[in-house]
Amino acid sequence: MKRAFLLLVIPVLGWSQSAGEKVFAQSCATGYCHGARGTPAGAPRLAGRGFDQAYITNTIMRGLSGTAMPAFGSSLSRADLTAVIGYVASLNGIANPVINLGPGGPGAAGSAGTALSAEGERGRALFFDAVRGFGRCSTCHEVNGIGISVTTPITKIPADAEALRALATPDIRTATFDGEAMPALIVSQAKTRALFYDLTSPPPVLRTVDPGALKLAEGSGWRHASVIGAYNDAELTSVLAYLREAIK
Amino acid sequence: MRFLLVLFAMVTACAQDGATQADWPHYGGTQFSWRYSALDQINTGNVKNLVPVWQFQTGDYAENLQATPIVVQGVMYLITPRIQVFALDAATGHLLWQYKYPTPRPGKPGGMTFVQNRGVAVSGGKVFFGTTDNFLVALDQKTGAEQWKVSVDDPRQCGCDITAAPLIVKDKVIVGGNGGDAAHRGYLTAFYTKTGRFAWRWYVIPGPGEKGHETWKGDSWKLGGGAPWMTGSFDPELNLVYWGTGNASGDFNDEDRLVEGAKGKEANLYTASVVALDADTGKLRWYHQEVPDDLWDFDSAYECVLLDHAINGQMRKLLVHMNKSGVTFVLDRVTGEFIGAFSMPEVQTWISGITEDGKLVGRREPQAGQVVSTCPSATGAKSWNSMAYSPRTGYVYAPINEVCNDLTSTPADAVEGRFHADGGFTLKLPPDRKTYSHLDAWDPITRKRVWSMPYRYILLASVLATAGDLVFTGNPEGDFFALDARSGNKLWSYQTGAGNRGSAVSYSVGGRQFIATPTGWQQAITGAQLAPLFPDQNWRAGSTLIVFALPEAAK
Repeated sequence: MKRAFLLLVIPVLGWSQSAGEKVFAQSCATGYCHGARGTPAGAPRLAGRGFDQAYITNTIMRGLSGTAMPAFGSSLSRADLTAVIGYVASLNGIANPVINLGPGGPGAAGSAGTALSAEGERGRALFFDAVRGFGRCSTCHEVNGIGISVTTPITKIPADAEALRALATPDIRTATFDGEAMPALIVSQAKTRALFYDLTSPPPVLRTVDPGALKLAEGSGWRHASVIGAYNDAELTSVLAYLREAIK
Repeated sequence: MRFLLVLFAMVTACAQDGATQADWPHYGGTQFSWRYSALDQINTGNVKNLVPVWQFQTGDYAENLQATPIVVQGVMYLITPRIQVFALDAATGHLLWQYKYPTPRPGKPGGMTFVQNRGVAVSGGKVFFGTTDNFLVALDQKTGAEQWKVSVDDPRQCGCDITAAPLIVKDKVIVGGNGGDAAHRGYLTAFYTKTGRFAWRWYVIPGPGEKGHETWKGDSWKLGGGAPWMTGSFDPELNLVYWGTGNASGDFNDEDRLVEGAKGKEANLYTASVVALDADTGKLRWYHQEVPDDLWDFDSAYECVLLDHAINGQMRKLLVHMNKSGVTFVLDRVTGEFIGAFSMPEVQTWISGITEDGKLVGRREPQAGQVVSTCPSATGAKSWNSMAYSPRTGYVYAPINEVCNDLTSTPADAVEGRFHADGGFTLKLPPDRKTYSHLDAWDPITRKRVWSMPYRYILLASVLATAGDLVFTGNPEGDFFALDARSGNKLWSYQTGAGNRGSAVSYSVGGRQFIATPTGWQQAITGAQLAPLFPDQNWRAGSTLIVFALPEAAK
């Protein structure tokens, strides 16, 4: 499912040096990371590097894969992002930055850009609730960029908690491997290797086996009800409300 | 209680052996974490003849090489920060197989990814490692083919990642994660080695209804840090797993996590502690909190050295553990009873001292709105790099840095998965010194320093001790060297060409003893923070494993 790109092009008259410096001090020049005013510290110097605007924006929004540089695009507010991107641009001699923040928005586990209702927000917190460990929904489902995408994206949302428990899961089959039968979600089957999620107990384990040693049968004893026991009916109702708002 | 202890001491009058033999099977050598090899072919008499016999360049030069190589039956398993795993013929360096983990998804929201890896674990035909995007992976030990892979947590939510080598305990593989400086609730997780299935999880911070929960203010327990981000130890006789836990978060300000009236008491359990867990269930058996209400980022996440020694004529099962402050605790590892403590750094201003029963006194705490100078620094008198213990000398060997910092304390709201240090630190060198580190030998029973080798810069590599009465480590200038374990005299040194901050090991193949050390300086985080203190330094990056032995004719 592709979401329409919402491009926010802000001709930044609004960003102020002092606001940007403040965000930089709080989020970038801290702990093990960059030094004050873009000096080198645990992380490299940022002042006078000749970075162009697109690079600065992209790096702050998305982070640098494989390095300690995190993505701030979904964790800072748009105002703070604009301020800090403008500030780093100023450190690189860009006087009048044009900042294009692109799609997405605040709220790490969040919304598609629209605010959630109170119940939706409650459901969002429950969906990703770390206190529930491997009992939380995001152990197997990714929504808006957070969670482990074991299954295909959620598209149909059950009507109520009862329907959520009774969810049909025809894709889950019974794999027999190494003398043991287990509920399995097949990821791929090639000549030399087969990949499947072993759903015996949460979290799912992605196992790679020799296809010759794997026997598959249709259907399984696995039930969605058995892995959502960390939530009561009222909580599941909120989770469903969240999904209805978040998945368009 | 006392009677039971005496009885137990009698039963186990024979000290357990934590030395490695031909293999180097675990991160800390054995599960006792001595980093001590029983091999003595290379010794004080012939170490001067040591020569490099092979080297292996990983090609992964961006960060450095910190990993402890694991050696099993003549095969070495080595991992790089960007998660390439190599199986090498340990006698020749010949590549047997290699594996490359797919580049992790982009950075996580507002957290901080530590791109490091400190080693694999090997057991039951599999090679295990953690990843920067928080998976635990098992490979086939013979081929390097992936066997299973499980997500420990979504790093985009928790702001955590795995840099530690996992610990094998019987049929389980136990792994800790990072996230102590992020708003995250630290934990250890055990999986079954065979299937990758979940076995148990122990949260550093107790949940509602659990003992210790009352030491957290409001909801701060949910995001209070404590990540046990290094590798623990295991005593099979007691069936106990030992682990050090990380600092509470926010690091430098306790406003949102300290219960009213708790100042100066145990607080924020079980952060900055050593804990003993039942190996089968992960249930807490005992704990000892080293830095109650930590305000200096003094992680206690480091190695637990398990050794047996007589105390007042009775053989005792002990645990020696140092946290980032350099204060080193000696505990009874059956009960957690405090036995003694000593502080290895020479410059210590964060406390005025430690009482006879192990309490910190004269705490010099960071204050909101002020700059408070303390020593040692948040980068640690010693950090994750391990000490070593030799049963022949009875000494522990540890590199200690003499660096101070100016701490700021700025309370900020904890947002899940985001960096939450609540302040920062600026490093500086203590005045009136010419050397800023030293490699020390300490007797943990008498709590006396036996010898000390001063060094002009800092030392960030682990230490290896051997039955040849040798102590090996390296420095950022690239010298890898051997000292006499009894006197500290330097007997041999080799310029490896790049800064050393890895973990050397010893093993033998076909009767020939080898010493292997990773080389390459770290260009980010701690290594990079310390480097500007020394404008004349030229600590070089790299990622090469260098292996030494005596010439064939001389062995």
